[in-house]
Amino acid sequence: MLALEFSRSIPSYLLMRAAGGRAEVATSDLSLLHLGDVDVPELPGPGWRQVRPLVSGVCGSDLAALTGHASFYLEPLTSYPFIPGHELSGRLEDGTRVVVQPVLGCAVRGIEPPCRFCAEGRIGLCLNVTEGPIDVGLQTGYCAGTGGGWGELLVAHESQLYEVPEALSDEAAMLTEPLACSIHAALRGAATKDDVVLVAGAGAIGLLTVAAVKLYTPPRQLICIAKYPHQAELARSLGADLVVAPAQAYQRVRFATGARRLEGIERDVLLGGADITFEATGNAGSLSDAVRLTRGGGRVVAVGMPGEAKVDWAPIWQRELEVTGAYAYGVEKSTGKRTFEMALEASASLNLDRLVGPLFPLTEYKEAIAYALAAGRMSAVRVAFDLRGLSDG
Amino acid sequence: MPAGTWYSGEWGISSLASRLLGVVADARLMRRGFHSGTPRPATWAERSTAVPDRPSDLAWARMEPVRSIRYGIQKGLSAPFAEVMTHPQIEGSEWVQQLDRPAILVANHSSHADTPLLLHALGDRVRERTVVAAAADYFYRRPWLGRVVSLWLNTFPFARSGGAQEVMHRSSVLLKSGWNLLVFPEGTRSPDGRLQPFKPGVGHLAVENRTPVIPMHVRGSQRVLPKGRNVPLPAPVRIRVGKPLSPGAGETSRDFADRVEQAVQALAKGSTSPELTGSWIERWKASDKRAPRPRARLAPEAPE
Amino acid sequence: MARPGAVIEVDRNTPPTLFHYGEGFRLERLPLGSRIVYPPDPIDPIGHPERAIRRALSNPLEDDPLKELLRPGMKLTIAFDDLSLPLPPMAAPDVRGLVIEEVVDAAARAGVEDVELIAAISLHRKMTADEIRHIVGDRVFTTFWPDRLYNHDAEDPSQNVLIGRTNQGEEVWLNRRASESDLVVYVNLTLVPMDGGHKSLATGLGCYRSVKAHHTVDTLLQSRSYMHPPDSALHASCVRQGELIEDAVRVFHIETSVNNHSFPAVANFLQKRETDWTTGDQAAFFALKQVTDLAPPDVKRAAFHSMLAPYGMTGVNAGQVDKVHDKTLENVRRQMMVPVEGQTDIVTLGVPYLGPYNVNSIMNPVLVVCTGLGYLFNLYKNKPVVREGGVVIIEHPCRYEFNAVHHPSYVDFYDEVLADTTDPHEIESRYEKRFAEDAWYRQMYQQSHAYHGVHPFYAWYWAAFTLQHCGDVIVVGGDRATVHRLGFKSATTLEDALEMAEQTVGRWPSITHLRTPPLMLCEVD
Repeated sequence: MLALEFSRSIPSYLLMRAAGGRAEVATSDLSLLHLGDVDVPELPGPGWRQVRPLVSGVCGSDLAALTGHASFYLEPLTSYPFIPGHELSGRLEDGTRVVVQPVLGCAVRGIEPPCRFCAEGRIGLCLNVTEGPIDVGLQTGYCAGTGGGWGELLVAHESQLYEVPEALSDEAAMLTEPLACSIHAALRGAATKDDVVLVAGAGAIGLLTVAAVKLYTPPRQLICIAKYPHQAELARSLGADLVVAPAQAYQRVRFATGARRLEGIERDVLLGGADITFEATGNAGSLSDAVRLTRGGGRVVAVGMPGEAKVDWAPIWQRELEVTGAYAYGVEKSTGKRTFEMALEASASLNLDRLVGPLFPLTEYKEAIAYALAAGRMSAVRVAFDLRGLSDG
Repeated sequence: MPAGTWYSGEWGISSLASRLLGVVADARLMRRGFHSGTPRPATWAERSTAVPDRPSDLAWARMEPVRSIRYGIQKGLSAPFAEVMTHPQIEGSEWVQQLDRPAILVANHSSHADTPLLLHALGDRVRERTVVAAAADYFYRRPWLGRVVSLWLNTFPFARSGGAQEVMHRSSVLLKSGWNLLVFPEGTRSPDGRLQPFKPGVGHLAVENRTPVIPMHVRGSQRVLPKGRNVPLPAPVRIRVGKPLSPGAGETSRDFADRVEQAVQALAKGSTSPELTGSWIERWKASDKRAPRPRARLAPEAPE
Repeated sequence: MARPGAVIEVDRNTPPTLFHYGEGFRLERLPLGSRIVYPPDPIDPIGHPERAIRRALSNPLEDDPLKELLRPGMKLTIAFDDLSLPLPPMAAPDVRGLVIEEVVDAAARAGVEDVELIAAISLHRKMTADEIRHIVGDRVFTTFWPDRLYNHDAEDPSQNVLIGRTNQGEEVWLNRRASESDLVVYVNLTLVPMDGGHKSLATGLGCYRSVKAHHTVDTLLQSRSYMHPPDSALHASCVRQGELIEDAVRVFHIETSVNNHSFPAVANFLQKRETDWTTGDQAAFFALKQVTDLAPPDVKRAAFHSMLAPYGMTGVNAGQVDKVHDKTLENVRRQMMVPVEGQTDIVTLGVPYLGPYNVNSIMNPVLVVCTGLGYLFNLYKNKPVVREGGVVIIEHPCRYEFNAVHHPSYVDFYDEVLADTTDPHEIESRYEKRFAEDAWYRQMYQQSHAYHGVHPFYAWYWAAFTLQHCGDVIVVGGDRATVHRLGFKSATTLEDALEMAEQTVGRWPSITHLRTPPLMLCEVD
């Protein structure tokens, strides 16, 4: 079958890193990613099904892996070679449209009894990601045995599958996974109606976080930092009360929160600030701003996947900030529902089609990656592969 | 047409050659005739100068054209350098903008930078008529250093030990001939910037000559050029000038010296009490540029 | 004898007309038949200002000579206008410095120990030491700074006292030191008829609560214009407040006026009419135009703000406020008045690099509106030069740039308030209170050199009448996004702007260009 395969190679990795994320290098013949014919993944056991991806997104974490910017922390939690792609909508053999919850926890791996986290529903924290009939891996798309969204076929356990309602398009369904991440983050942020909430970044994750916060924990004021005009417009339509440019973040958050602003070297200091900040870019500069834009005793939620970033810890220490991560989904304690189910419900009203595009066939993966790396400048939010032609043919 | 040819006559080549030979012969004679390091002839055992060295008070430094040269040096070099290095902040400058009679300026001392900074703070008119008491045993031990310092800062040698009478007398002469006198009564630079006890000489001088004393205080010069360093570094400097003090009727020189010391201490603390800095009316009158003042004339120095 | 102001009709031989354009200039060809209003030439100044000041102090109007008001043991406070006057700042010595020196001298002779000098900044930014030194002069500065010479602080509750309420219910607050003084001497400089009189003390040493009594949209809409006090509701309110202060405190008022010699010799051509430009002036203009077209804004600003005006003093009067102010206004009008026949469809004017609130600072977009549509437009008597429903065309680059130290509340006003609405009434009711009470603005006003949080509102209200009166405002050569944010239309050239204006006022409009600064007051009949 046709697939994009990600292999492990130290020289390639070093080359990617040296190129600093240049698209023509990240997709060259020397890169870590190759298009070709690969073996069809075998069904690891009973309860596993074959899924043919329809639309499969290019996530920021995929790009980080391609350009050599992903954290080394994730390296031992991944098995090679793998087929990337963990946000996707697909079709089963019987024609049912599904989305795949990519986390490979105890239930998927057939471990009985489940570890304590999986028992709690926090499958993202599963302790058994090395066990069972499949290889090491946190998620489908980072695991050698399961295949991934950027190929013709993948295998998934029944517990990973959620049926897509008729009304939802393939494109919108593809965003269920990132939306579930954002809902999980919003619930971890737990804003109240008196809070001022700041979402730093307006890529796919940032925008979906805006939507999730607005839906599940509506605050007093929701501010979004957006770099590009199309992002600003989308953020506003998804529920942000105020959208500000990164250069004006300190000025406008100060005004919105009635804080005081002190001029600083390199970055200003706010006495006061947002109650809860969601950091949705994962880059060092934005993280450093986020901890300065949050009031003392406030909460900073890291939603976007951060790498090894240089962040000044002094504000975290002095402001006694609560810094928390929001990685993946499972069963939400506050609602008792599964996050994916909530995401599928929510996306009915959000009209998420507009966030997806343009679509590329797998054979044009070089263009797709280049486009995704420059998504903001190209007025795109989520670039994706269109695999419908492949599976039909 | 010049008479003679190129090889003869007064400037002819032969004449020039013989003059050159004469020079060479003299040089050879001197070199061979005078030795250093060899024993003196037994008959001339004792060394003596025919004319004794009179202790110089460098009167040349207070005459033209040296005064004009010094003015140029201070305006063109010292002042811009002081501004750039220390950006001096001067408080109470109205007390030294113009003085109608000679005064003794008293300041604390923590750095070689004090003198140029204080002179800078004085303003042109007063600076032109100010001599600085410099330690004879420090600056005048090496003659070339003494001359440079005198040329630049208008210093005169002030013996710190021995010959007090002589020094007092010379200082009085200077005051009487119309010069202001800048003195550092601590006697030496303070090692840490704090004030050291004053020596009583200033009291004598002021009481004897009925001269007012202007207390001044420099802060920060120690960071510019502390004792033991030779390279100045930039640092902010503040100079405070207090209201002139005059010895009261019947006040002993020791009491007056104490009063001066207290005034400098108070300036160091930053006190703005009217006794120290004067009421605004006094300062206003002191800074009056329009009021005509008798311009003190420099009397010829009394011959010794 | 100085030439009076003039209205000139553009014909084929008229040279192109100079428009101020921020830190630069534009030379425009106005359509044939347009009128250009030129200010009068500077009138002859008083030859010996110090002597005139001394004479005024010893022969005051309806008051005792200053000498007789001073006695030892009294509390004397001298208040003076801040750096918003005159524009551009006056070359040393500033007239106020000369007056203050005479007053202080008199106090010294009388033996008044307790003297304090207060800069009447009201809600303006606190001046820096050097700015104060420039106004009061070196000698006064070294004698009194910083303990006895300081900026008024309108936000320090312990420094302001409530004097009372006027019969209209306006609160009157005054600086505590002034209210406790046996004599307050106010030293004023009147540049335009809006300044001076009762407004000096009531506003200059007041606080937000007293200033807001008359700095409202409604008051300003009823002031036609506030440049002509008898027709100004703003001034009527100031008079009510001022009279209350006069009852509570003994005030000795000194007012000075200067001529309109606003530009130093290097920029002499700005003072002249284009028809009078010599070859030298033309060369100077050409050179300066090229430099300002090429130089970066910061460099241009530094150069322009270092220009000081060689004003000459045209009058000094002392004594009772009203009497003094009448005399002063007479002097000011003598310099500024230009009779203009009839209103016009379109008024054009160039907004210069400087307004009252950006001395040594940046003219931000809000201040462009304040200066162009507030101050310059309102320099009329009887009725505006443009007819109701007419169009005002201003020229200014309108860049998005703010001075972070001086104008922190202006940035937020632009980004938060103007993004929402540009209607003065709505702005006033929805946002003013929040800005006035913001803790950070207060801190910046008190401890740094920032304008008060509410100040951008006043800057906007100044233009309220213009916005209501005019059918359209077009900005030529401005940054498009900024101009739209301000609620105006943007044009690239004057020709385009006139074309656009015709859609509002009809074909073949009458056009009048106000060639200002130097400042003038159009008397329209």
